Amino acid sequence: MSPAAGSRRLSKLLVALEKPTGGSIVYKGRDVATMTGRALKEYRREVQIIFQDPYSSLNPRMTVGDIVAEGWSVHSDIAPRKDRLKRTQDLLDRVGLNPDYVNRYPHQFSGGQRQRIGIARALALRPEIIVCDEPVSALDVSVQAQVVNLLEDLQDDFGLSYLFIAHDLSVVRHISDRVSVMYLGSIVEEGTDEQVYTTPSHPYTQALLSSVPLHEPHLRGQKDRILLQGDVPSPADPPSGCRFRTRCWKAQDICATEAPALVDRGQGHPAACHFAEARAVVPVDAE
Amino acid sequence: MTQSQLDPTPHPATAGATLLEVDDLHVEFQQRSGVVNAVNGVSYTLAERETLAILGESGSGKSVSAQAIMGILDTPPAVVRGAIRFQGEDLLRMSDEDQRQVRGPGISMIFQDALSSLNPVYSVGWQIGEMFRVHQGASRKEAKAKAIELMDRVRIPAAAKRVDDYPHQFSGGMRQRVMIAMAIALDPRILIADEPTTALDVTVQAQVMDLLKDLQRETGMGLILITHDLGVVNEVADRVAVMYAGRIVERGTVDDVFTDAGHPYTEGLMNSVPQVEAKGGRLQPIVGQPPNLAAIPSGCPFHPRCARRRLGADAAPGRDCATDVPPLRLVVPGREAACHYSEEVLGV
Repeated sequence: MSPAAGSRRLSKLLVALEKPTGGSIVYKGRDVATMTGRALKEYRREVQIIFQDPYSSLNPRMTVGDIVAEGWSVHSDIAPRKDRLKRTQDLLDRVGLNPDYVNRYPHQFSGGQRQRIGIARALALRPEIIVCDEPVSALDVSVQAQVVNLLEDLQDDFGLSYLFIAHDLSVVRHISDRVSVMYLGSIVEEGTDEQVYTTPSHPYTQALLSSVPLHEPHLRGQKDRILLQGDVPSPADPPSGCRFRTRCWKAQDICATEAPALVDRGQGHPAACHFAEARAVVPVDAE
Repeated sequence: MTQSQLDPTPHPATAGATLLEVDDLHVEFQQRSGVVNAVNGVSYTLAERETLAILGESGSGKSVSAQAIMGILDTPPAVVRGAIRFQGEDLLRMSDEDQRQVRGPGISMIFQDALSSLNPVYSVGWQIGEMFRVHQGASRKEAKAKAIELMDRVRIPAAAKRVDDYPHQFSGGMRQRVMIAMAIALDPRILIADEPTTALDVTVQAQVMDLLKDLQRETGMGLILITHDLGVVNEVADRVAVMYAGRIVERGTVDDVFTDAGHPYTEGLMNSVPQVEAKGGRLQPIVGQPPNLAAIPSGCPFHPRCARRRLGADAAPGRDCATDVPPLRLVVPGREAACHYSEEVLGV
């Protein structure tokens, strides 16, 4: 959720760009860290990533066509060489770009269009999962909605699963089926979008949701606003016990000694808090 | 020119005297590729104790117009025309030194990226104290004492201990507080906040906005809030001016504009953002891209993206969206919009 929450590092672990120091990522029954050779190659094809920054994630010296087709030089069985131009143009068309732009360079595109190029590149390898790492946060509001809609359409068309990493709580609610809230490297609450947004049970989730500015004048001031004290501690030296306790208004002695497990304490979904309690903080828009 | 002609939308009841009048401001940049028209005739006023939000996307001219007020645009390549009157005096007609004397204590600004706005090799106390040393001739010791006082005021914990720390030792939220401390050091009448919370976590964002509102209540300063975030505008501002392609396309009280938009662009913005209050249905984006400021479309600059545009035979005489530029006009009392067909958008 926040930059220090560890979600960014998570995306690199998921696409096997980094190795975990402990624990495992299990994909279709196999631990990714132990995969080698063909299995790892196949994993990297099936799990693709879209990055946040559409400016630094595209090679400025490559044409759009080469960027989209690059994965095929490793996974040559996906697209026979003679079909590649046609396939690339189909992909550009599918993500809403003019197929004739295949020989243009990234700098000739706007931020929203570059993000579409990144999406086409990910789609080219026929993935099963796409890790979307803040895919719309660098985009203007009017363009952001275009990309969100495109992602939703592609999910329906290709049966994709998304692991969507974002800090914008409104976008997360809009796009997600399930939500995990992270704080300082651990998941503090997990549930369906409905559970997390209407009955948040971890104090951090409650504070987070209560801080989101609302768009409706008639809802202004109706919010049960929770102002957190202090800053996120350094992930290099996290607090003992519960990592949120230094900013939590509910903290007791037990919070410093015992890290709370992520379990359901009667709220219908798991929260990692000794004193988890459902509390609605976002007013329901009746209009 | 009187205030009502420049900016006829109602100021909040609590607002005081007019502090700032921006009158037909133009900013263009001469570039090798041609002239970039970043700001194209923007007028507004700001009174004591009021918060005016300037809402827009990148390239709308919202930041450039603020930089023109602050006098921090390089001229050339920038060319600034029009008038910027602070307490009645036109800053653009003054010598550089006179401008500095007026702006220094009168108008200050905070930026989105606090880390790159602070000097990494000086302690924050030294940088805050610089205001007092330069503008009031304070000694180092006095300046440091005042810096600690200010850090307390912007609620930086253990200010006396942290005054000698360097910017990199502070979190993003605390750095923004240091910037705010510097900005309010000389008790300015106007504070311009350019995306002050965009780079911050949502919980820290709320703390910083609260601090700005509290400081405004204490000092009565006028606040210009430049942002792309509809939620921040709704929760913080009294009035809002929506900018597109260097122009104000709609203006009114936040309550009015957010309840019922009068310009298709504002309407499009509202429909394209998801809300945290509900999952909502499919988003309705604005089609196309924001315009290239070196080649702003003819007529209404929004017409290529507008679902309500009327062209050729469909248009009323003199109101063809592709050829006739819609002026910012009063559509209903208290609300202006730069759209030929704003009455239809509002349903009046």
